[in-house]
Amino acid sequence: MLLLADTLVEMASSEPPPGVVAASEARDRARFEDDALGHAEHLYRIAVRLTGGRQSAEDLVQETYLRAFRAWRSYRPGTNLAAWLATIMRNANLDELRRQSRRPVQEPLDETGDYYLYNRLAETSPQPQDEVLARLSGTAIVSALGDLPPNFREVVVLVDVGDFSYADAAGILGIPIGTVMSRLYRGRRLLKRALADRAEGEVVSA
Amino acid sequence: MSADPCRGAESMMQPYLDRVLTEAETSRIEVHLRDCAYCSDRYVFERGLRSVVRECCCDEPVPAGFVERLRRRCSDQA
Repeated sequence: MLLLADTLVEMASSEPPPGVVAASEARDRARFEDDALGHAEHLYRIAVRLTGGRQSAEDLVQETYLRAFRAWRSYRPGTNLAAWLATIMRNANLDELRRQSRRPVQEPLDETGDYYLYNRLAETSPQPQDEVLARLSGTAIVSALGDLPPNFREVVVLVDVGDFSYADAAGILGIPIGTVMSRLYRGRRLLKRALADRAEGEVVSA
Repeated sequence: MSADPCRGAESMMQPYLDRVLTEAETSRIEVHLRDCAYCSDRYVFERGLRSVVRECCCDEPVPAGFVERLRRRCSDQA
């Protein structure tokens, strides 16, 4: 009991001995790693849609975790870890795109309305809401997403695939929430236009 | 939703599906969707489209042993 009291006094009055710091830091780090790795599959699925390939997605997620584990002390416990990791992943992806010096594509012109896909599909199908959705193959969706210009694609992927809020997406991308919304809405319209072209192609080839 | 209620509903459809409208806006669009077959058909379609996109991307299989490989590579670097 006396020993415990002494220890408590010592802990309160002075810096803990270095061994104790190292042990508790190692515990914090191990816990951070476990928590962070719990998001790996979620990040991988986002990465596949961001990069358009499985190998590049795996490389991107690996680079993300290497950076995250180096910077783990800058993560504030209790804040959104998935968003923190997604921010690192987005920056790693930008670095990679810069390394390959692929310039971001210009904003495309699009004057199609929100119901463009519905209206196009309704021309050939009386019940678009049921039947046509089933006609959209996974391949068509994936390739349509892949064809979106990168700055639209990343917003659509973060919100519609990654389930991030507008505010999270704004933080991850370092852009205002209003820009998230305008890119998201335009990105979705572009996606519908791309899907309409593919759905028609599939009907023609069927 | 003033002059043309269907136009108004169209412009609120995406934020409505994202659940970011105010309570007042939400109830305005919901009242309209209840009464308007044109807009409610499109609402059902838009909602279905979202879940199709989400499902197809979330069905993406994660390579076998991916997380373990990641853990090993990252602790090697630590």
